[in-house]
Amino acid sequence: MNKNISGRYYGESRPLFGLFIKTSILTVLTLGIYRFWAKTRIRKYFWSATTGDGDSFEYTGTGLEKFLGFLVAVVILAIYLGIVQMILFFFGISLFSEPQTQAEVLLQLAGVYIPFFAVVPLIFFAQYRSRRYKMARTRWRGLRFGMDSAAWGYVWRAILHSLLTILTLGILLPRQTFSLEKYMADRMWYGDAKFEQQGRWPELYKGMKHLVIALVIFAASITFGVVFVAPGFASLLFFIGYIWFVIGSVYYNVYAFNYMTKNKVLDAVIRFKAIATASTVVKIVLVGILLSIGFLLVVGIALAGIFFGVLGASFGGFTFGGGLILLIGFGGLFNVGVLLMLNGISLVFITQKIIAHIVDSVTVENAPHLDTIRQRAADKGADADGFADALDIGGAI
Amino acid sequence: MQTTGRYFDGEAGQRFDVEVAVEPNQELLILSHPDLPADRIHWPLDALRALRDGARNDQITLSLRAARSDDSALIDVARLTISDEIAIEQLKRFTPNLMKRDLPKGTAWRITSRIGLAVGALVAMIFVILPAMANTLADIIPIEREIRWGKSIVAQMERFLGASELGELACSSPEGDAALAVMVDRLTHGTKTVYDLDVAVFDHEMVNAFAAPGGQVVLMRGLIDEAGSADEVAAVLGHEIGHVEARDATRNTLRATGSAGLLSLVLGDFTGGSIAVLLAEATLSASYTREAEEAADVFALEMLDTANVSTNGMAQFFDTIGKSGGHIHLPEYLSSHPATDGRAEAARDFATGQGETSPILADAEWQALQAICD
Repeated sequence: MNKNISGRYYGESRPLFGLFIKTSILTVLTLGIYRFWAKTRIRKYFWSATTGDGDSFEYTGTGLEKFLGFLVAVVILAIYLGIVQMILFFFGISLFSEPQTQAEVLLQLAGVYIPFFAVVPLIFFAQYRSRRYKMARTRWRGLRFGMDSAAWGYVWRAILHSLLTILTLGILLPRQTFSLEKYMADRMWYGDAKFEQQGRWPELYKGMKHLVIALVIFAASITFGVVFVAPGFASLLFFIGYIWFVIGSVYYNVYAFNYMTKNKVLDAVIRFKAIATASTVVKIVLVGILLSIGFLLVVGIALAGIFFGVLGASFGGFTFGGGLILLIGFGGLFNVGVLLMLNGISLVFITQKIIAHIVDSVTVENAPHLDTIRQRAADKGADADGFADALDIGGAI
Repeated sequence: MQTTGRYFDGEAGQRFDVEVAVEPNQELLILSHPDLPADRIHWPLDALRALRDGARNDQITLSLRAARSDDSALIDVARLTISDEIAIEQLKRFTPNLMKRDLPKGTAWRITSRIGLAVGALVAMIFVILPAMANTLADIIPIEREIRWGKSIVAQMERFLGASELGELACSSPEGDAALAVMVDRLTHGTKTVYDLDVAVFDHEMVNAFAAPGGQVVLMRGLIDEAGSADEVAAVLGHEIGHVEARDATRNTLRATGSAGLLSLVLGDFTGGSIAVLLAEATLSASYTREAEEAADVFALEMLDTANVSTNGMAQFFDTIGKSGGHIHLPEYLSSHPATDGRAEAARDFATGQGETSPILADAEWQALQAICD
């Protein structure tokens, strides 16, 4: 084996799009039940398209186990969500009216934010569990990956780090990124070899430079708006700042990914390199958005034609009730179709292309040591990510 | 058949580039490599399984059916990947079970028992616990808050019906308002009501009326236009007052928010899922309001009787909307009025048992009410 081996992604647009459309139609037809199998099949595609040294990754999860895991989550969440939601709604009823006193203002704020915060621990929990499940179901060269069972430790750390980041207005964001990734990486295995996250969190500050620039532009925008009373120029600056901020976030994420990957060590010997670039990711996303807009334009033009055709030809023929239901039914079906196509475009032209870029950017150093790694006992209880599925975390993959 | 393949035994991370041969007579696949134990491994062809949904169609990865497995796929840990096109073709021919799915024993039982548990939990929540909680919460919500909430719902409804600013749709004329007040007074004279009624008329052609939480009742102009007499309007008003007094709108909304959350959880976020949730929720609340509708009908009949108004008006109204065809679906916090058979019949039967009755409004008042939006 070569000293260094690199990742290569083999997936293509057409087969993945076909797989997505096929599984989505089955999902709609089965009122959502097939979604567990759909997700599994899409994952199998992504995993098997990912190779290192010519050997494909393998996703060993099954739709059935996801379905079973989901059923368990339903029992727990049914009780939690049903009750919590109704009680919160009850207290939130005053939201509908103008608040009269200071206490009511606070109550309304609480009504808005408590439902959100009530799910936050569950979301963090599901994040960790979802990654653990994916690791336990991933194999490469016959060896399975794994992750220790430590989701609750992740939950409280994630909550504290998020609070710190918010309280310091984002200054401690690198610390959050680094610590949470380190918490997970230090619990990851490949076969019987353990991963270790090295590096220092202040190093991530370099990745924040475009975010800082965006903030400066925002500040300038406010200055021009308030001090010099130039609202036109101020809003132009604000718009530029917003775009810069979005691109800056992509840049930060890519930078953090490269840095964290470079500082991961497997079995104290094997190292990694990642040279993903933010500009490639931004380009992919832009093309994906343009494709979606193009698709919507085509649909819009076609729809206008059909609509006026139907309106002219047969509106008189509808009895009001029946016609309305027919229209609603038709509109619903049409909506499903358009959403499906948009999701497909996003999966194939954004998600897959970004994954391809990331995979192609990774190199494994000291690869011959991989031959000495052996299988480790399977993670017991790394059950299907039922909570993640129920709370819709992680999207298609 | 003779080719090479990449073999991983699932124990060591080391790759063996093995020679692969099929011997159809022995029904075996033979993998050989000098570093393998005994130089070779035999795989029975009928136990061979291929991995599914692979992205690469230039290769096939094989494994064996296993008796048990550490993860949910019932296949062995060893893997053999073959990239030779001809060899792949031949393998597919020799091995009929290549694409077979194997399930562990007891799978059917696990599926049914877990579905049973989940369905049980959902049914208990949606049909027992949530309605019970909705009832309790609807009873303890302070009336002032309910009234404010109801006002905002009426405002939402006005926007929904196309008003660009609030109050735009509300109809008012001195004589019309007076006639409406007479109607409400006569209806509520002998029947005690918890809520102060706030009855409004909206300038909209829809044949409907709705009761919002906290005593707000809205009649549509279309309904007054369609009605043949003031008694018919009074019947609808009585029905809506029944909803108000039973706090139906409040309890319906509470219950709907709880079960909508659950339904979207079950149906998931697949494309178009929200539409499915809406449909399911509409069915649920329709079956729920039927009882409430019946109770409101009974309430209206008794209220009309107490006010010495003939319930024939109610029968006629149901006949009219029954003839004019379907009704329009409104958001679930509004009580819709399906013209089901038997409601007219019930009102007519009730009328035969009534004593002396008089029209709820004098002719002049009824004309004033009809002209309230002009």
